[in-house]
Formats: sequence, structure tokens, C-alpha cells
Amino acid sequence: MRFLTAALLFLSSCNYAATPPVRGPVATCEDHRKHGRREQATACYNKLVESKDAALIAEGFWGLKNYKAANDLFRKAVDAKPKDPEIRVRWGRMYLEHFQKSDAADLFAEALEINKDYAPAHLGLALVAADSFESKAVQQANEALKLDPTLVEAQELLARLALDEGNEILAGEEAARAEKLDPESLDALAIEATVFMLNDRDPAQFIDKILKINPTYGKAWSIAAHFFVINRRYEEGIKLYRKAIELDPDLLEAKSELAVNLMRLGHDVEAKKLLEECYEREYKNAATVNTLTLLDSYKNFEKYTTPATDIRLHKKESALLLLYFQPELERAIATYEKKYKMKLPGPVRLEVYPDHDDFAVRTMGLPGLGALGVTFGSVVAMDSPSGRKPGTFHWASTLWHELDHVFVLTATHHRVDRWFAEGMAMHEETANNPEWGDRFSVEGITAIRDKKLLPIATLNSGFVRPKYPAQVSVSYFQAGKICDYINERWGFDKLLEMMNGFNEKLTTEQIVEKKLGMKPEDFDKEFLAWLDKQVGKTVKNFEEWRGKLKQTVTLFKEKKYDEVIKQALAIQDLYPEYVEAGNTYEMLADSYLAKNDKESAITELNKYAKIGGRDREVLKKLGKLLEEKGNKKEAAAVYDRINYFYPMQDEDLHRKLGELWLEQNNNAGAVREFTAAVNSKPVDAAASWYNLARAQRASGNTAAAKESLVSALETAPGFRPAQKLLLELTDK
Amino acid sequence: MAIAPEMGSRMNLLNPSKQKNLSKQKSLNSKQESLSVQMQKWGGPPGLRLTPWSACSGLAKTLGTLTILALFSLTAAQADTWYVTIAGLGGEPEYEVRFAGWATDLDKSLRAIPGAQVNTYSGKQATKETLRKAFAEFTTKVKPDDNFAVILIGHGTFDNSEYKFNIPGPDLSATELAGWLDKIPATRQLVVNTTSAAGASISALQKANRTIIAATRNGTEKNATLFARYFVEAFRDPGADTDKNETLSALEAFKYADQKTVKFFETQKRLATEHAVMEDTGKGEAVRAPSAENGKGLAAARFPLMSLGNVQKFSAEKQKLVEQKQEFEGQIDKLKYEKAATPVDEYRKRLAQLLVQLAKIQEELEK
Repeated sequence: MRFLTAALLFLSSCNYAATPPVRGPVATCEDHRKHGRREQATACYNKLVESKDAALIAEGFWGLKNYKAANDLFRKAVDAKPKDPEIRVRWGRMYLEHFQKSDAADLFAEALEINKDYAPAHLGLALVAADSFESKAVQQANEALKLDPTLVEAQELLARLALDEGNEILAGEEAARAEKLDPESLDALAIEATVFMLNDRDPAQFIDKILKINPTYGKAWSIAAHFFVINRRYEEGIKLYRKAIELDPDLLEAKSELAVNLMRLGHDVEAKKLLEECYEREYKNAATVNTLTLLDSYKNFEKYTTPATDIRLHKKESALLLLYFQPELERAIATYEKKYKMKLPGPVRLEVYPDHDDFAVRTMGLPGLGALGVTFGSVVAMDSPSGRKPGTFHWASTLWHELDHVFVLTATHHRVDRWFAEGMAMHEETANNPEWGDRFSVEGITAIRDKKLLPIATLNSGFVRPKYPAQVSVSYFQAGKICDYINERWGFDKLLEMMNGFNEKLTTEQIVEKKLGMKPEDFDKEFLAWLDKQVGKTVKNFEEWRGKLKQTVTLFKEKKYDEVIKQALAIQDLYPEYVEAGNTYEMLADSYLAKNDKESAITELNKYAKIGGRDREVLKKLGKLLEEKGNKKEAAAVYDRINYFYPMQDEDLHRKLGELWLEQNNNAGAVREFTAAVNSKPVDAAASWYNLARAQRASGNTAAAKESLVSALETAPGFRPAQKLLLELTDK
Repeated sequence: MAIAPEMGSRMNLLNPSKQKNLSKQKSLNSKQESLSVQMQKWGGPPGLRLTPWSACSGLAKTLGTLTILALFSLTAAQADTWYVTIAGLGGEPEYEVRFAGWATDLDKSLRAIPGAQVNTYSGKQATKETLRKAFAEFTTKVKPDDNFAVILIGHGTFDNSEYKFNIPGPDLSATELAGWLDKIPATRQLVVNTTSAAGASISALQKANRTIIAATRNGTEKNATLFARYFVEAFRDPGADTDKNETLSALEAFKYADQKTVKFFETQKRLATEHAVMEDTGKGEAVRAPSAENGKGLAAARFPLMSLGNVQKFSAEKQKLVEQKQEFEGQIDKLKYEKAATPVDEYRKRLAQLLVQLAKIQEELEK
């Protein structure tokens, strides 16, 4: 929402005299600027600089973009008039324009300490909140309007916030109110134009009006572009940013946004050029600087391409990750092509970031996104498993999730409600493998218990502007369950029909009515009844479960294993999906092991694995028990599970799995695992190469085996097993 | 994430600057590769091979590292290796158990080494007086040709002037330990200080022919360490013998423990609170990654901690084969030394040829 901070400066002068913050002399300058009279505006600001009032001089410098001088003068002005909230608010607005939200918020808060009813300060806080996609933005904007009903900026902000949530009707109403306050409200007109454009209607009536007020108001296009981008219609958003720049070549904010979005779609060269221009011209917001930094870091990435894929992996882990990511991406593409009955127009680009901060740069500006992976058209960016603590991130599940977005976005030309796109992706995670995806969380339980799930018609708002901290994750859960329910009741083709409904420009309500043949509120009732059958027992007994689990943990610490077994078995079914710290499966397994009952321990750990437990040490324990029992095939399957959430830093895992597969004549699998061991910075490099050579030899690739033996012996020339195998292969 | 440039605080306005370089963790692998390559640079003139006896006479520095290790696996058989393990105070039950456990594990591994002189002091037994007496006794028993290793497990402290190892009763300072070690006749000595703040002990212990391994790079790394766990593990993991010469050297054990410690912190996504270092020249700073460039690691590579196999004795007629073997080993070392300047394909081809020849000779030797 960065554009608002600057856009709001371009306000109608007619309100300024009546409603501070902008003082009379400043209002004149702003009026020139608002109407595109740039030379006059500059002259006006220069005149302000010659004033004797520190606050006005500060305004003059600010208008001339001399932030440093303005900052010094604002400080002096505040020192001179410490009880004047207006100066603090104007100073804060400058900080906001200069991408310093925190400093701005502090000044708005200080202004409210001086006068708690100072409307512009509430507006300032609303702008800060809006920039962070916080729901209190609406509350603060309404508070500002309550205190000063003529505050057009607050009204414009409400229009924008409504459109952020996808509520086009409300956005139109709020914009109309702003226009009533100020018929020349450029941003309100831009919002109305945007609503038209989003619905493929001609926005000329609004654009013409805007251009009559200000012939160079490129920001109108950039406002529209923002909404196309947050609706994932990147290509159209890019076109609109280009229009904005065409109209106003100095609109650096639009250039930066254009660059960020070009980069999202993989057009790095043009993006870099634009960002460098912004940087050189002192436009240095977080997006510009961080994206430039990210582009610089691309030299550290390796690129691997096939006709269907374009994978970018960091050099330090590319050799290892490619072993897993390449086949998984191709398998996912093939699966989705069948399910969605379509082919993608080009290769999927997958970027994997070991540094979460680099990945975060990719997701900037998108509310509620970016936790693990993000999709822009056919470009998928995601965290590397190395970027997160083992067990906290399932990379393969995330990959399938993001790739599902690629298919859904392509099929709908990006015209799909967020809830549906996320719901389909969540559904696919577990449809592909029930062990993947997220487990039923405490947040989900609490939301159901407290009846916080949203009606399907407004589920989108749970993603865009959450009203409580866990609402985004709860909305993911709910959307996924809705798709599970539809799939179970009507079949996958019904989901495809719904998807096509979005392509036909139907709303969620219309889709539910037309494709499912029921009213949205009836759907909600039936869905909740279905969900209750799925998880109602857990929700209903959650408190009892929690209390008893606590007791069980205490018993476990006291090594009262018989009692642990009795109690853990009694509560396990109350919340079977709980696999986090202190789960019943682990406690039971350890208790059984203490009693030397390995068979029961295996049973519990198998349940843990199948329900989606992701502690690799626990899974390794299961693998070891299975190996000891002689169930080597099952043991291999357990070890292989770990590869799909954390294949890193574990040569021992790869070696064990390689040995098991070699023994089971899964030579291709053994080659993969021993290759992974070689690429895991092994302590014993010679042995790792030798093992790889054994697997390569078993798979009939003698030439590769000989090369691996040379690598083994390069490290340890006297390594006898490697020498013997080399001679054997050489003699052949 | 790189931080967005700000116009400055409300008190000081600063010019924003572009953050081009985010700090990235250096790849451990690259260090190891560097070490692996650089180690070859210690090799002397191509083809020069000395007999084990001449290596003992001080000319070893002219040899390739791999050969040196092979030679010392032979010399190790002729000398005793003394191991003195001291497990200090844990302070808390968890650490008491942990330290005693590591000491016990190490003791067990060491006692399995034929002819090893193993002395382990743990818990109440590890007082300064007991240790003083023990070291006094060692001065009468240890021979100049013996290897003498001291392993400290526990907590260490550093008060900005002196390092102290926490044991029951008065603590043992690094200076006191150095004084005791100076009286031990063994010319080849090793101190493995796995405690917190171990890095602060290096300057006091530093001496020619004494290798020092410390779990931390200085005295300010004060958290309880993990290095000991992996150092002890090196004695049980055949993979720690990375050059497969059937001798675990002090350098290999250091690298093994360091690598495992680094991986632990990386995997847990925790800020590393310990950075192991080593020093084996008697002068200069201790280093994280020993190499020819920093001049560290040679003595540590020559210190045999544990022999994993039997020393082979060859008949007179096979001595010629031994000489041929050494000739090929020399050629391999030379080729590896020239690796950077040799086209990859050519390098691999020549290396393969030499390795096949070496393997054939080894096969003949074993007939």
C-alpha cells in the first residue's frame, strides 16, 4: 500500500483550510501539485523555505524533497511549539512518505497524547496500519472521520481498504462519499476507475475526470495496478504501471513497483535497470533496496533447465537439492496436468532460497503471503529446507501447494478468489500424500470452538485483512477443508467447475449457487456439519485432552511408564493429529521401549509417521527399530520420508538409506542417496564416494562408478576397498 | 532481510546507503576443500620419498602429508601414547552426567587401543593435588619418543587475565597445566581443551611440538560446549579417518569434531556459541581452518591418536614394491599439487592411471 502514503499528499485544497494538517500557505503549493502545475508548485515550496516559521520552512523543504533539511526544521518547529499536534503529524507524514513507518507512528501517537481527539493523528495511524495490512486501519480511519467528518483522506482510505478486501460495492460507496467531500478527490476517482477495470469495464468516465484535474496524474494507473497485483493479475498490473510511468515519468514509486512485479515474472534485466534508476534518484524504499540486493545475490544461484522446468538453486546446496526438487517438480507437473486437464504454456520457474530474508523480499507487499512459498504466474519462489529448522517446514508439500497455484492461476487467468486458490492448494497437499500438509492446529480448534470460521462468501477477508493474529492460518485451514468437502461430496470435477466459474467472472456467491446449487449460507451450514464430523470430537474434548496430556507428560518425566501407557492411550484419539512436543506417540513409544516392548513402540511410531510427525530424530528411531526387526523396506520408507522435509546436513541418513536400497536392488534410489551423501559435506568423503561407486556399479554405470572411485581415492589414495573395486572395474 | 534505508533517526539524519552485501555464512565445504588442496602443498620436491626412519629425523616437513601420516602410523607402533583425560565439575546435575559420560566413553575407546597408556580422572578424583601427583609420576615414566595427550572435559572460565579449568577444590589454571606439561619428556604433546572459554588457555599452553586444540576461539565464548561430544565420537567412527591410512590423527579428530559441531548449530538454526581452533607450531594465533597458507596442521596431522589397523611388515623382496608404491604416492601428491593448473579432464585421466597403478602394487604387496 505504499502508494497511498504519497498519494494522500495530493489532496484537494478546498479542505485544507478547514481541516489541518496542511496549513494555508502549504495548501496553495499542494494545490499546484495536485493539478499538475509542477513549476508553480516548486516555486511555491521555494517561497515557503524563505518563511520565518520553522514549520513552514520544513514544509517547503519537504515539498522540494530535501528530507534532511525538512527533518531538521521539523525538529526545531516541535521544540518551538511542543504542544502543537499538527506539526508532529506533518512531520510524521513526511516520515511515512520516506518509508519510516515506525518513526511516523511514534509522532502520531505523540500528537494524540497532546490531543486525543486530533483527527489527522488518527488518520496517520490508519495510514501506518494500512501499510502493514492491519485491520485496525479501518478503525482508525473511522475514528478520524468521526472526529472530523470532512477529512477526505480518511474517506479515501476507507474506499481503498474496502477494495483491498475485495468489497467492490463498499469501495464504490466509500469513494462516492469522498467525492461528495471533494469532487476533485483524485484517489477516490482512481478507486472507482479501478473497480471498473477489475471488472473489464471501460473506466474512461473516471479517467477523463482525473486527467482534467491533473493531466499528469499517473498515480491513477498505479493505484489500479496495485489492485491488479494483489489480485494476482500480474501481467495486467504491469501494463498499468507502464501506463502510470508513461503519464508521469517521474513517478518513481510506480517504477519501483513495476520492477518488483517484472522480477516476480522473471524479467530480471528490465527490473534491475528500473530499480537502479529508482535508487540513483534517491527512491530507496525497502522494496527497491532489498530487491536490488536480491538481484545481486542471483550470481550465487545455479540454473537447471528442462523443457518443463527452470530451477534456480543456491550454489552451496544446489547439487544436493536438485536430486529431490527436479523429480518432484516434474512429478507434480505431470500429476496436475492430468487433474486439471491442461498443459502449462511454458516452463515453471522454481526459485529456492536458503536465506529466508532473500525469500521474504520476493513476497513483499502481499498480505498474508510469503510464509513458506509464493507463486507469481509461472514463477514459484520458496524457502529452502535449509532456511528453516528441521521438522518445521515440509518443502515437498509446499512445492505441490505452490505449483497448484500455477495451474489454478493459469486456468483462471488469475481471476480467482484467494480463498479458492489457497483452498485448492491446501487440498492438493494432502490429496497427493495424506502425511503431507498441515496438521489440525490448536488455532483451528480454537477458531471452530469460538465460531470464528467465516462464511464462504467472505472467507477472502480472512486472508487479506485478518481480524485476529491467527486468522490467516485459520483461513488457509478452512479453505482447504472446504475444498476437501466439495471433493468428497461432489468429486474433483466439481472443483474444476467452480474454478471455471471464476474464469467466467462469477463471484463466490454466484459460483456456490450456480455450481453447487445451493445458497452460500446453506453451504456454510452443511460444510460446518461435515467439519464437525471430521474434527468435532477434538474440538469438543480439547480442554480435557490438554489437561490430561499435561498429566501424562508429568508421569512420563517421572518414568511411570505403565501409567503413561494407560493415560496416553486413553487420550490419543481425542486429538490424533497432535504430533508436536509432548505428543502421545513419542511418550508411548519411549515407555514401551523402557519396558523392552519394541513391537508396540514401532506401532506407535508408525502412527506418528503416518499422521505426519516430522521430528527426524523420532523417525530415525523408528527406522532403526524397523531395521533391527528386519523390516528393511519399511525402514527405508521411513528414512525417505525425512528427505521430503529435511534432506540437509545428514550424510548418515543418506548413507543408511542408500545401503538399504542397494540391498533391496533399488539401485537408482541408492545412487540418489549416495550422491546426496557426497553432496552433504561428509566428514568421510572417501567412503561416501566409494559407496556411490558401488551403487553406480550395481546400476550398470561402470564409467560413473570409476569416476567416483577416482574421487574417493583422490582423498584417500590408500583406501583399500576403493582400490579393489577400481581394479575390478578396470580389469573389465 | 536487508533493512530499508531510513532518513535517520529523529536526532540524526543519515544518508541511506545501499546494502549490497548481506553477510552469508561461509561454506564449510570450501574451507575443507581448501585444506585438502593446501595440505598437498606441504609436499616436497616431486618424487622425493623418505623412509620412515629418515622422516623421524626431522625431515618430515619435506614430505607430502599423506605419506607423513602413513609413516607415523609406523612410528606410532614403536612409541607409547599416553592419554590423560580429566573431566571437571559440571556444576549442575545435567552437566555432571554429561561430562562424566563423555569421559567414560573416551576412556572406553582409549582402553581398546593396544598398548595405550590410559589415565582418566573424573568427578571427585580430579582434584588439583591428585593431578599434580599424577603428572609428577608421568615425568618419570613417559619417554621422549612417546606421544602425550591431555584431554580436558568440563567448564572453563576466563577472567580476562587467566584461564581456569573447573575441578573440585582449587581450579587448575592453564599456566599450571603448562608447567606440568613442560616437565613431561615426550617431545610430541597434544592438549585438547574442550571446555567453555578454552581459547583463553592457548597462549599459556603454546609451545613447540605441542598441538593445542580448543573448543572455543577465545575466552569470551562462555557457553557449555558440544565439541567434546564429537571429539569423543571421532574415536568410535571409522569415518573420522578420512585419508583411510588406518590412523586417526589429531588433525582428523579436530576436523571431525569441528565439522559435526558446526553442523549441529546450522541444523538447529542456532547461533554458534563455540568455534573450535587449533595451534600446533608453538607460535602465532590459533586458527579455525589449518592449512599450508596459515602454516598450521602439520604437527597435528602427525600426532597419531589411534591406530585402526595392523602395521604391515614386508619381506626384503617386497621392499622394492614398497619403494614403487611410495614412488606412485609421490606422483599422486605432485599431480594433486598441480591440480589447479591442470585441465580437469587431463587431471582426472592421469590421476586415474596413477591410482590404478598404486592399487595394483598394493594388491601385489598383500599377496
